Amino acid sequence: MRNIIEMMLAGAFLLISGCSGSDPTPEEFSDDKIIRLWVAPDESQEAFWKIVVERWNKRGSGIQVKFKTIPAVESSEKAILTALVAGNAPDLSTNIFSGFAAQLAGLGQLQDLSVMDGYKELVLVRHMESIMQGWDQGGKKYVFPLYSNPTLIWWRGDILQKLGINKIPQTYDDVYELSKQYAASDHKFGMQIMTGLNWYDRWYDYISFYYAASNGVPYINDGKAFYDNDAGLSVLTFMDTIYKNGWTALDFESDDPLTTGLVVGAVRGPWSVSFFKRMYPDTLKKIIVGPMIRKHKTDGKAYTFADSKGLVLFKHSKVKAEAFAFISWVLSNDELSLLWLEKTNLPPARGDLMENAIFKTFYEANPLAKQYAIYVDVAIPSAFIESTIDVQKIMGFEMVESVKFGTKPPETALADAVRRTNKLLKVAH
Amino acid sequence: MKFGNIKLGEIRESQIGAALAVSFLLFNVIFWAYPFVWLLILSFSDWRFFDVPTFSGLKNFFIVLDDPEFWRSLWNVLRFLGYYVPIVLTCSLAFAFGLQHIGRGKVFIALCFLLAHISSGVAYSLVFTKIFSSTGPMNRLLLDWFGFSIPWLSSPSMAMFSISLVVTWKFVGYYGLILYSGLVAIPNEIYDAAKLDNTPPLMRLFKISLPMINSQLIMVLVFAITVAFGIFTEPYMMTAGGPMESTNMPLLVIYESAFHRLQPGRAALMAVIIAIVSYLAIKIMRKILEKNVELV
Repeated sequence: MRNIIEMMLAGAFLLISGCSGSDPTPEEFSDDKIIRLWVAPDESQEAFWKIVVERWNKRGSGIQVKFKTIPAVESSEKAILTALVAGNAPDLSTNIFSGFAAQLAGLGQLQDLSVMDGYKELVLVRHMESIMQGWDQGGKKYVFPLYSNPTLIWWRGDILQKLGINKIPQTYDDVYELSKQYAASDHKFGMQIMTGLNWYDRWYDYISFYYAASNGVPYINDGKAFYDNDAGLSVLTFMDTIYKNGWTALDFESDDPLTTGLVVGAVRGPWSVSFFKRMYPDTLKKIIVGPMIRKHKTDGKAYTFADSKGLVLFKHSKVKAEAFAFISWVLSNDELSLLWLEKTNLPPARGDLMENAIFKTFYEANPLAKQYAIYVDVAIPSAFIESTIDVQKIMGFEMVESVKFGTKPPETALADAVRRTNKLLKVAH
Repeated sequence: MKFGNIKLGEIRESQIGAALAVSFLLFNVIFWAYPFVWLLILSFSDWRFFDVPTFSGLKNFFIVLDDPEFWRSLWNVLRFLGYYVPIVLTCSLAFAFGLQHIGRGKVFIALCFLLAHISSGVAYSLVFTKIFSSTGPMNRLLLDWFGFSIPWLSSPSMAMFSISLVVTWKFVGYYGLILYSGLVAIPNEIYDAAKLDNTPPLMRLFKISLPMINSQLIMVLVFAITVAFGIFTEPYMMTAGGPMESTNMPLLVIYESAFHRLQPGRAALMAVIIAIVSYLAIKIMRKILEKNVELV
């Protein structure tokens, strides 16, 4: 009997210790004199933070920083939420998108960074005055953007050449023209219009096109849908024309259509550069990067969507000032911005990428990355709302998919989406 | 040694039995009853993970009642069952009858079919997404040979059918083996007698085989209904609930409400409603179809 009890106790101990997994022990978190940082579970970003944290800890000018990647569960958001609820969240975390930041701020979990010592200096040194306007939440700044990935359009240069098109398509008419020519050949399409069926895919189709069409006007403003305008309608009419003429496929889930030459153009972010370098280097050589298309070409750069992630400081932290001092040191150092660029290929969120001499050599050697850097200052993040998912699901259901399947004309689709979004936001408020 | 009329050996045996029963009960209390009670409490609460749940009366109930996405997901369960039940029953029966006529390699073939059942849902969903893509290999083949393509996953009217095909592929071996166990239990004498009476094969199927495996068929139908209410990985990975929310299933809505919209109270109420509806569906199905078959 005693043996059985001993075995049961041993089993229970194993079970309990097994459940705790590789999470840090409470003892690790009990130290108030350590800054705990979670970073994106991405090899290149991890490599950057490893070097930076080592340098900071060696300097000895502040308290020590301990970093780890966000635990590999289904999503960063889920891991961070779980940690917050369980009470073992870090002091700082990267990889936060605007919608999640709005949720966390709504739950009272985030520190307003704009009141921290050194915030204004940090914004000035990175020339981020205009970028930070896109991260404003009721006059507060809960997230500090680390990188800003503008969405642009990749064109197969070789196919454009074959079609006798010598300039990069920039307007809807340009796309119609090339689609007419290319779609006439063996089951080919002009452009990939819809990125996918998930709610976040709207960032890479409707919202990207909308920002370009509206010159950066927000799609949600003052708790109301704001895309009920000419720009919003012009995007839907463009999509409608493409689908009605069969100039795009219903989906492109099989292979990347740029690699197979199934389409001439598709919306892509800078993360695709390193992916194509690794997987499709031959295709990458044929790629020309162009701005987001719009109805008419106007002076100035075409606005676009910024797939941007930032850093937050949690309210529960006992080392807020020290943690922000660490972040100020990392982000105000130009050399470290260059290191970030070299390690990740993602444009740091700063307004001087093209002017600052320190980045010149990198961009000369990486022309595709340079194209993205050019658009950082006209790339706008998604709306700061807690209902990001629902707003974008409505966009997909009422507008993009309705137009895709021809169940509604663009005007009705737009009106329905705006009505449902306003109702949703009213309830949420 | 004796305690009244009970021997020591008997006491030890009854103690072990009780201990085993207690462990089962404890397991159910921890992993079923406790979460279910918590679910009920949450259904009537306002909670956003960080604060203390506060009683909100019927607020969640009215919000869920007014949520078209939730009701659409319940309608999608019916649509899924409409495709899935006939396909999976036909295929499983064919598999079971086929297995009956195989001599050598029966175990190997059964294991091959069961392989789908233990495969990773995420992995095969990704594979089928590529196969079924409008520009994927299946459609390329159709285009080359017949000059048309099928929008397997990209059309609101086809996507659910395609998902039910994938789920059928997953469960056909499992259900088939259940039906096979029923078929092999039918005495050959019954078939011999029917043959002597010149009963045609189709009549033998409907008058002997199917009634005699009623309990196995009911079991398969119970499983099919629970799959329909509990399906998550395939629609999540293959269609994300689209197109036009045509494959948005209750578990997807519950998951998004709880972990993306941070509304665990509403998600809990949805889960309770789904549990009740699925229980009623199974009860009704059994009431209509279950027969007490006995060999006298």
